[in-house]
Amino acid sequence: MTFLYLYALLGVVPPRGRWRGLDGEPLRFVRVAGLVLAAGPMSRAPAPKLSTLRRHDAVVRRLAGAVPAVLPARFGTLVTDGAALRELIAPRAAALRRALAQVAGREQMTLRLYGSAPRGGGVEAAAPLPSGPGTRYLTARSAATLRALPDLARLRGTLAGLVRAERIEPSQTPPLLGSVYHLVDRDQRRAYQRALRSVTCQLADLRVVPSGPWTPYAFAPEPGG
Amino acid sequence: MMSAPRRPRRRKSRNPLAARDQSLLDLVDNVLSKGVVVSGELMLGLADVDLVYLRLSALLCAADRVSPAARAWRARRAVVTPRRAVITR
Repeated sequence: MTFLYLYALLGVVPPRGRWRGLDGEPLRFVRVAGLVLAAGPMSRAPAPKLSTLRRHDAVVRRLAGAVPAVLPARFGTLVTDGAALRELIAPRAAALRRALAQVAGREQMTLRLYGSAPRGGGVEAAAPLPSGPGTRYLTARSAATLRALPDLARLRGTLAGLVRAERIEPSQTPPLLGSVYHLVDRDQRRAYQRALRSVTCQLADLRVVPSGPWTPYAFAPEPGG
Repeated sequence: MMSAPRRPRRRKSRNPLAARDQSLLDLVDNVLSKGVVVSGELMLGLADVDLVYLRLSALLCAADRVSPAARAWRARRAVVTPRRAVITR
């Protein structure tokens, strides 16, 4: 049986070209309620290995280079066919269109924050996979604890004018305290990097490891959103 | 003709995780735990992927503690600037 493996949601169909998926399969562009879904036929879900993760990301990056807005799909999304994909996406189309509009012309920068856990231990309190309301509460509380760190407040204040959206995610694995995801205009990348360099060397207790630009994986709407 | 003695190379980065490890962490974090989730009974394999993500992320974060480069970095920072030592363990 052949399934459809989902790579990304786009605002428009990319220009004609040799669009291939992670196994070299030809990509299909399925239209659903003002969205374009980039998917490829596959007989089974790809194994979650480093090589397939890299190839998945490469496909998404290539799409992002060809269209103004891309929302990557999480690795491992396989559906039976185009009709099933439409059924799953259509009820959430409005939220997905809003998310797509937010990321248009923008890219994700990621900051990993290393340091000592703040007093109160809130950062360690979150469970590994945010799912239920209790877990979401603990995660939000941990993020608030992280946000209260003076170094992070200084960092966020310096970058505020360049950041279009932000997501803060606490970690449960010290010395990684958490991650900050910033959505930045593509043409502001250098200004963001300059501002980041200028502020990170002034921080006392927090070590910041930046990476990016990434396609905006962290700015996809939450499930059910 | 004798050549001048080579100076030891200075480390350019203070990052205890090599750039490659960091990039791996980011790749795993982005591709396995972020992105649009299409939920439904038709989706296959997500539970496996979540488990793999948990194991990989724990392993990668722990790399900061176990790698010799990380331990050496921490030792140097603890001696040179005590204030920075606050962030090391």
